Parts: sequence; structure tokens; C-alpha cells
Amino acid sequence: MVMACRVINKRRHVGLQQLSSFSGTGRTLLGPVKSSKFIIDEESHESMLISSIVRLLESLDLTSAVGQLLNEAVQTQNSTYKTGTSTLLLLVGAWSSAAEECLHLGVPISLIVSIMSEGLNSCIEEVVSLQVPIHNVFDHVDNTKTFSGLDTCSVNLCPFLQIPSDTGLLKEHDLKDVASPSLTIYNLSGIPVGSPKLFRPQAEVEANKNILQNPQILKKSLLADNHCRKSILIHSRHFNRPDSNQWINKPEGFLEQRGAATPHTYRCNDLVELEMGLSHGDHNSMKLVDEAVRLQYQNSSMQQGNCSVPFMFDISRIFTCCLPGVAETFSCVCPGYITVVSISNTTLIKELQNQPIRIILIEGDLTENYRHLGFNKAANINTLLESVKFQPDSSEERWTNNVLQVLIKFDVNLVLVQGNVSEYLIEKCIQSKRLVIGSVNNSVMQAFAEASGAVQVTYITQVNENCVGSGVCVNFWRSIPSDVIDRINIMTIMIKTEGINLVTVVLTSPLPAQMQAKEDRFWTCAYRLYYALKEQKVFLGGGAIEFLCLSHLQILAEQSLSKRNHVCSGWLHNTSSWLASSLTLYRSTVLKCLANGWHKYLSTLMYNTANYSSELGASTVIQQHLQNATDSGSPSSYILNEYSKLNSGIFNSGTSNKLEQIPSVYDNVTPKIEAWRRALDLVLLVLQTDSEIITGLGHTQINSQETEGFLFL
Amino acid sequence: MSRLEAKKPSLCKSEPLTNERVRATLCVLKGILTSSYGPSGRLKQLHNGLGGCVCTTSQSSALLSNLSVTHPILKILTTSVQNHVSCLSDCGLFTAILCCNLIENIQRIGLKPTTVIKLNKQLLSLCTSYLQSEFCGCRIRVDFSSTQTLLCLVRSIVASKPACMLTRQEIDHISALILRAFLLTIPENTKDRLILGESIIVPLKGQRVTDSTVLPGILVEMSEVQLMKILPIKKTDAFKVALFCASLSGDFPDTGEGTIVVNSGVSLENAVLDQLLNLGRQLVSDHVDLVICQKVVHPSLKQFLSTHHMIAIDRVGAALMEALSKVTGTQPIGSLGLISPSSYGSIKDLCTAKFGFKHFLHLLPNEATICSLLLCNRNDTAWDELKLTCQTALHVLQLTIKEPSVLLGGGCTETHLAAYIRHKTCNESESILKDDGCTQTELILLTDAFCSALESVAGSLEHDGGEILTDMKYGHFWTAQPESPSVVNWPDLLSRCGCGLYTSQEELRWSFLKSTHHSFAPQTCLPHEAVGSANNLTLDCFTAKLSGLQVAVDTANLILDLSYIIEDKN
Repeated sequence: MVMACRVINKRRHVGLQQLSSFSGTGRTLLGPVKSSKFIIDEESHESMLISSIVRLLESLDLTSAVGQLLNEAVQTQNSTYKTGTSTLLLLVGAWSSAAEECLHLGVPISLIVSIMSEGLNSCIEEVVSLQVPIHNVFDHVDNTKTFSGLDTCSVNLCPFLQIPSDTGLLKEHDLKDVASPSLTIYNLSGIPVGSPKLFRPQAEVEANKNILQNPQILKKSLLADNHCRKSILIHSRHFNRPDSNQWINKPEGFLEQRGAATPHTYRCNDLVELEMGLSHGDHNSMKLVDEAVRLQYQNSSMQQGNCSVPFMFDISRIFTCCLPGVAETFSCVCPGYITVVSISNTTLIKELQNQPIRIILIEGDLTENYRHLGFNKAANINTLLESVKFQPDSSEERWTNNVLQVLIKFDVNLVLVQGNVSEYLIEKCIQSKRLVIGSVNNSVMQAFAEASGAVQVTYITQVNENCVGSGVCVNFWRSIPSDVIDRINIMTIMIKTEGINLVTVVLTSPLPAQMQAKEDRFWTCAYRLYYALKEQKVFLGGGAIEFLCLSHLQILAEQSLSKRNHVCSGWLHNTSSWLASSLTLYRSTVLKCLANGWHKYLSTLMYNTANYSSELGASTVIQQHLQNATDSGSPSSYILNEYSKLNSGIFNSGTSNKLEQIPSVYDNVTPKIEAWRRALDLVLLVLQTDSEIITGLGHTQINSQETEGFLFL
Repeated sequence: MSRLEAKKPSLCKSEPLTNERVRATLCVLKGILTSSYGPSGRLKQLHNGLGGCVCTTSQSSALLSNLSVTHPILKILTTSVQNHVSCLSDCGLFTAILCCNLIENIQRIGLKPTTVIKLNKQLLSLCTSYLQSEFCGCRIRVDFSSTQTLLCLVRSIVASKPACMLTRQEIDHISALILRAFLLTIPENTKDRLILGESIIVPLKGQRVTDSTVLPGILVEMSEVQLMKILPIKKTDAFKVALFCASLSGDFPDTGEGTIVVNSGVSLENAVLDQLLNLGRQLVSDHVDLVICQKVVHPSLKQFLSTHHMIAIDRVGAALMEALSKVTGTQPIGSLGLISPSSYGSIKDLCTAKFGFKHFLHLLPNEATICSLLLCNRNDTAWDELKLTCQTALHVLQLTIKEPSVLLGGGCTETHLAAYIRHKTCNESESILKDDGCTQTELILLTDAFCSALESVAGSLEHDGGEILTDMKYGHFWTAQPESPSVVNWPDLLSRCGCGLYTSQEELRWSFLKSTHHSFAPQTCLPHEAVGSANNLTLDCFTAKLSGLQVAVDTANLILDLSYIIEDKN
């Protein structure tokens, strides 16, 4: 075995460059308006339609060490939070460029690491001021106001939201590697253009136009700033900090203003508003999530009566059933379990429907040869057939008969199996009027166990009276017109029981290629709502927190320039090294680079929302806002002010009163912050790596690639 | 038909160290090790180039176990360092770097191996006797009445592993947890011998580091479904436990070679299951509350046990078995035959807990020194590094209980020791040389090689081109910005010495470490009050460092003494 070692940090940091380039591939997937990608396999000519980072990385070749670390970070974020992966990927790119910039400027690596991580810490503390508490959103949930009713209004509601009709053409560069049919698919992708996230940049454009045209308006907006500042005083921890900088605690008048009752304290106590804010433009998916939550809420209040236990949104009790080839409009949400069974069951279902039947639940497979996990079958045992008693049955037949006998004995007509089911058994069961369904989701099993009283067993021989559940109904599910469903040659049935805590979301898509993406999008929305409700708080979204981070870092950088001697030794592990004393020297440089990363992220986000013809244009607008925010004295109040302008000014004009709270865009708190941390951790991990050690490679294997830069041991 | 092949002759190489390739590979190895050393050390990505998992690390144990070296000389080096690390956990890089430095420096002066070995041994014994003596100026006695010294020791270890990706607050949090976990393993009342318990590290990847915590007792991970099945747990004052290491899955025992023929009416599986159910009946009649099995429990047996209100936990794994047997106070049962009543254990309490996304069954012992350290970190590779770090720190604490001393860290011990040796050999060369037959010149040459090897280990702590200095009073280690002007006001430019004990505001004289060759007597006898007041010292484990020093010198002696390598080519 030979081990090779490659120095990856000679002049240019290869690892950071790799991170940047990987990140570049996902650039168009950030934000509410995503441009889907086609990934084509050169060999098999198979293609995939991709609209999420996780699916993208699944199809990229990430065998390099850095690529694997990136994939690992994205996968962990996805498996933990199901959201924030595009933020993670984009920030990895932005910050690896930032770190590389620092290296070029000659900043010692240890200092980049400590200043960047403390800088992000400081940002995370700062954005607490933009948290919006969620209060009792379920108090008014029975009101007539529902998401679906609102959906249409909100799109009409924004007259200024003129997405250029040729969006597809504008984004041509994203589609350059795509064959011509893709353009149609892109247009069909059904991503609603009515994205609330778009409001902000649009409004900003308008505001900026005004400012440029008329200096008086600038003054007015600054006055409006003052008017709104009370809310910062309520939320901002920064304000209370003893070392807070000069301009935050400038005029004491603010504190008095705080006493005056003000209408702009941000809080969210309306479910629809919350969902709207978290939908990030994907209204279709969020509408389904809304219906699912409402069904769950109704179910739980029916179960508990007026019990005081607060309702918790249980995402594990939502199940998706995908029906490719059915028109989009048939997507819907129903209580109970909806699944697809083969047409051959038609007569059986007819006989079983409209009567309560008994059920058993099998974990594992229902086949003759299945044994529980951890059971080792001995290979060297032969069964001797006694020639005297001639047995015509095969062993499978005998086993099937045994199973049937058990089912008959306990009068069971429905068997839900987590794993596979023997085909022969299914046939036999159909003959004896019993329905067996395989590959049932774990949470579905759990829901049926709770509602019907059945206990999951591994083997059919374990079944006794205590394991059998009762009161289950099987029916045809015919919400989709039969002519549609017959065309795709499937049959859908609904299984439910009294009080079952299970909601099935039926997702349909005319294009099978989009099914996966649609399911992913549904779950993203569901998890966003889940975390928002779980944490009881959200961030003001649409780039607000990122903008605050950007301006906060710029201010920190300016400060450290002006206060050279300010000791911030707390930012370094090893206070005795010379690095501690030269920290102040580089602090402003590194913080600026980190801020540039936010800037890049924001301009990509704004560019993707199709309001700007180039990232440069978006960047200019951000720059102007940054200037305004710095001039205003408190960036967080500036942001809140911009938000309230959207609230009171633009949205209320010419719309009905009940919609006045709608326009906010929200982001999740912990998933977002963890995505930031993960991104920076990855960048800093790669930054600190100076060599790559490849074990177990022969000389020949490396020779075939590039021998340059390899050292052998 | 057998074929006879002539044996190839063995290959014999003389003077292996003079070989250019050997020197080059040694240099590469040294480069890898020195660049990883210390809190600002650079990380290494270890992977197999074929899509296997990537390990990012700067620790000797992870590095050396993954490096596959071929040359016998390198093998001697890595093996002896790995051996040191497996016994004492800490100071692996120190040992390896010192050994490389010694080989390199001594080769350069070109003395005879016998002289070198003799003198090296002399110098080593000077070092060890000084470090162990009462007047040693770089050793601190540990005061067990406060946690301060121990906390500093743990923090120094955690802070020196950059691949853990911890911020300062996180370092403080983890260090405090490690110390708490260690304190939980010390029994409350001991008679004549102290037997330490065990801290079990429970993985919880993907969570925030500050979510890590320490709990007394054992956490057994379970799926939510499994947990729902055993709830609710009935309350008693103690739970009677049966602990199995035998599989209860209903497997047939290993039948060996050959085949077994059975009649078609006979089902072996059912026979084994009947035996298991008999066992279950015995457990019921013995009023057992909790059945824990290392391997799998047959679903039918589980069902049987739960209908009799017993809790069955299976697949706890071999790693937990020793701790479980300690906690419950019983030996694991290894057969399915009759169980003697004495083989049951007990625990005080049982509850469920949820951390992150994982569900656990929490077993609380009556009185045992077992605790669980629930360790979180954001990504896999950083978690693995953090786990290794925690294990090292826990081991170092155990070593410190045995030998209650710590050494000053941050390079100060190395430079101080080098200054002491230089001074000693300069002034007392006669007593050192008295019966060796070596000349004074040889001693001076070797002392210089030995001491500069020590000093460059300290110098390896600096990775960003900073200047390395030492003061002429204590012989401690200081760093300054690169390209510092030659005439400067040093007290303004420097802040603290490497270990953090002294500040630059004292009346000190400094010189560049590379240029100091005139000897001075570093101040010995560390004043007690100086140590008491400093609360943020960088400290090293005494036992591990001392042993590392010995291993490095012995290994260097061995390698320098090699004159032939004979390779069997067959």
C-alpha cells in the first residue's frame, strides 16, 4: 500500500475553489423563483428535472474530498430540518470566496477562522431583533378565513408585481444546456409568480427611485424611521448591551417614544398570515399544508373535546400519495389513508365497503422466508421428506394456508404490511375476501395501531385477539373523476377508522418528471410550518435578516477601523500568541470579506427573483439600502421601517381591510441559523486544511491521473 | 502437482539513513506532523480517493492509524508513537516531531552512533530527573481542592484540536462537561483502592455543540416505535434486571461443518422458540422487570414478555455491555438454560428521554460511577474529532489523578527544559562525562542538537510565520508578529508567554530562539502564588509528556543505530 499526500494550499487554496465551483451549480435554485435544471446522463441518455439542492447534489459527481464534505453538510441539514439547503450551499460559495480573498490579503488563517466565526456569532445575536413571536395561531383557526380563499386575492393584490412575461427568456443562461422542449416544461412548472418575497425588492426599487428623484422624500423616510423605532427598542438585545455603540443610544428621546402606543409591533397570531409568509411563493403546496393542518386540528379538538392541551402540529402523521399523470387541480387533502391498489381488487373492495372490518398490522415482510432482523438462518439443514406420507403441497402453499387460517380464525379482512407481501398470498386472500396491502409507511402503521387498537407484530403466528384492531372502513376514493383515473389504469382506495390521526395529501402532476419535485416542495412547506409552530417564532424574511447581518458586519468593520486599540482578545482561543495582539489589525478586513459574502448572497437572491436584469443591478440596490441603513443609525429599525411601509402603504391602498396583515415574508429561525453555521463551519474546515492524504493508492493509479503535486510515503 | 520455486535472495541495504529517498520521505512525514501541531495547526483530509468517508483531523492517533507507511524506518517511528498514544492518549505529535527533529539534527553533526546513544541517554536522564524534581520550574502540583487547574488542563487539550470546530464558548462548555463527566466516575466512598468508573460517549450528530450534556447512568438508544410499545413504565422502587449477552433471536447454535437432516414434521425453529418461551416463563416467575439483551430478541419472546408487563430492550451492542453489567451489578447471562437467581441485577430508576431526534431509555443506577456524555457537533468529521478529543481529555484526567502534576504548555516547557539542559552541560560537563569516554566537544555538539530539537518542537506551534522568542529569565516561549523590526520595544509587541503565566510587562530580556546559544540559568522553583493567581494557563499532561520525551529519544536512538535493513523478498 502506498500513501500519497498532496499539498492543497500552496498559492491558491484548491479546496476553497472547489467549494465555490460546487456552490455555483446551485445558484439558480436559491429563493422563491427557482429555475429548474435538466441533468442528462451522457451514457444512458436518461434525464432528470431538478429543482432542489438535495436532488442536484444527488446527481453530481462529488467523489472529491471537498465535494463529499459539502454533500455531507447538505445532507445533514436536509435530514435535520428539511429546509435551508439552498441557503447553505450559496453561503458556502460566498464565504469560500470571502476566505480566499482574505488569504490573498495576507491574513493569517487562524485569524480568519476566529474573526469569521465570531463575526457570524455577532450576526446571530443581532438578528434576534427581527424575530417575530407566534401567538396562539390556532385560536381563530375556525374562522372562515382560509388559505385557499386568500390565494387568488393575494396574487391580484400586487399590481406592481409585474414579472416580465418573458421570464423564461430572461433566464436563458440557466437553460443553455437544455434541449428545446425544456422551455415548455419550465413554463409548465407551475411555480406561482405571486411570491411575497418579490414584494420587498420591488418596493425597494420604488423607494429608491423616489429617493433619487426627490431629496425631500428622503427626509420624510428618515422621519418615518424615527416613528417606527420603538419596535427595535422592544426586540433588540443589542440595544441593551452595555458596550453598544454610540449611535444606537444616541438620542434619549427614542426611549420616550417607546412609551407611546404604536401599532407596528411585529407579532404573528394568524395561521394564514404565517403560512403565507412561509410559503415563499409556493402557494399551491402551502395550501395543501394549510388544509392538512386544519384537518389535524379539527381531529384533535374532536378527540379531546375542550381539553386544554395545546394543539401540536404532528408532521409524522401526514402522508403523501403521489398520482402522476393526473391534472394538477386534483391535488387535495383527506383524512385517513389513501393509497393506490391494483385494479384486480375492484370486486373485493365492493364487498368490503360500507362495513366495519378487522385489521392486523405486520412489521417486516409477509413472505414465507422472511425472518426478523438479526436472525441467522442455518444453511446446512436439510429436511428429509418421508416417502410414506405423500405431500402434494409445496411449502409455500402450506405457509399460505396457515396465514389464511389465522386470518379466518380472527376474522381479519385487512392486513397492512410494512414490507413486501408474497404475490401468491395476495391472490389467495383476494379469493377469500381479504385485502392485503404491502409497503405501508411506518407512520401510517402507527396511526392505525393507535386508532384501531391493533398491535404491530412481526409474524402471523404472533397474532392473538389482542393484536387485532377493529372498526376500520375501506372505500373507493373517487374524488378524482373516473375517466381521469381510468385513463392511468389505477384504483385509489381510502382506509380510515374513527378518530384516526392521519391525513393523506394527494399530490398530482400531469408530468411524471415533476412528481418528485412536487413532493419535495410540499414537504419543504410542511417542515417550514412545522418548525415555525414548534419554535413559536419566525424571522422577518425576504432577505431582511441577511440584510441586517450585512449592515451589522459593515458597522462592526468600520468600528474596528476607528478603534484600533480595542482589545477583543475574547475572539481567539489562544490569547498568548502574537495573533491575539494583531487581531485588531485584520479584524476590519475579515469582517468586510464576510459581509461581502452576505452581499453576494443577497444579490443572487434578488437577481433570481427576476426583478433585476443582472446581479450587478441587484447589488447596486443593496448598496443604496446599505447606505440608507447606516445613515439611519440603526439598521434593524430601518428594516422594520421598510417592512411597515410595505404593510401600511402599498398594501392597504385599494384592498379590503381583512388583508392588511398579509404581506410579511417569514423564515424559520433555527433551521436558518444552523444553515449559516454549517456553511461557515464547512468553509473554515476546508480553509484550515493544508493537505489531502490519500490512503491505499498505488503509484500507477495516481500516475494515470496527475502526478504533479503528489508526495509519496 | 507441486511446483518448486527458487527462493529469492534477501535484500540487504547498509546505512539506511544516508539514503536520499529515506530522508525525503522522513521529511514529508515530519512536514505532515509539524503542520498539524497545536491550536492553530493545519488540518489534514484523509480519504481513500475512491469516495470513502473523509476524515478531517490534526490528531496523531487519527493521522498515524490512517497513514500507510512502507519504509521500515518510518514504520519504527510510527509504531512507537502509536504505541505511546494507545497507552497515554496525549502528546503523540510532540513525540513524533521530537523524534524526527532528533534524527535530523544528530545526523547533521555526524557523530558515531555509540557516542550519540550514550550522550542522548545522559541528556534524557537529566531531563527526566529535572522534570520530576522538587525545584522544577515548569511543573505545577495539582490542587484538587479547586477545579481550576484541571479545567485549564482540559481546556488546553480541547483548544488544541482545531478540527473540532469549536468557538470559545463551546470550548468552555465542552471542557466543563468533560470535567463533570470525569468527576461523576469517581466513587463517593472508597476503601483502600480507588476504582474509577466510566464515561460513555453517546453520539448525537447534527445538533449544536452547546446541546451536549452529561447525565449519570446509561442512555440506551431506541426507536420511537419501540419506546411507544414499552410505555407506560410502571413505577417501583427498584427494577430487577436480567442482562443477556447471548442472542435471544431464535437462531440455531452453530452446527459446525456437515449437514443436519431432520424429518419434515420437525421444525427446529419452533423448537428453539419453545426454549426461548420457557426462558420467558422463568423470567416471569422470577419477577424480572427489565430484560436487556446485547443482541436480538425474538419478536414472539418480546410479545410474551410485554404481555407480562416486562420491558425488553434488545440490540444494545457490545460496547455498552461492560457498563451495563457494572450499573446493574451483575454478569451477563450467556446461555438459554436455567438462570440462577443470583444472576439478576437491579437498577434504581428507569425513564425515557428525548435529545434532538433520538429517543433514549435512561437507566439510573443505585450507586455506580457510570455516566453518559451526550456529545453533539454539527458535522460528522468534526464530531469524530470531538469524540477523540473527549476520550483523550478523560484519559489525561485519569493520569493526572495518578500523578498529580501538570506541565506548563504552549511550548514553555520545551524551551525552559532546553535552556536548563544547555546551562547544565555547559557548567557541569565533567560530572556528565565522567565515565563515558566522550569528549567535551562531542557533548557540546550533541547538547546543541538535542536542545534545538526540543526548541523546534515548540517552534512548530507557530504556523503563520511569526517570530519565536524566548526570555532570558524563565526560558519561556513567546511569539511576535512576522518581520518584526530588530530594534523594538518588546514589551509592547509581546503580550503573554505561551503558557500564559508571565506577561511582557515584567522586566525581561528576550532573544530570538534560533539565535540563542549562549547559556543562561532559567529560574527554577515555580513560586506557588504565581500559579495560583493565573487562571487561564495552557497546561500539558505530565505523565504523557514525560513518556513522550522518553519514547522520542529512545526511538531516535534506535533509528540512528540502524546500520543494515535486511528485507525478505519472498
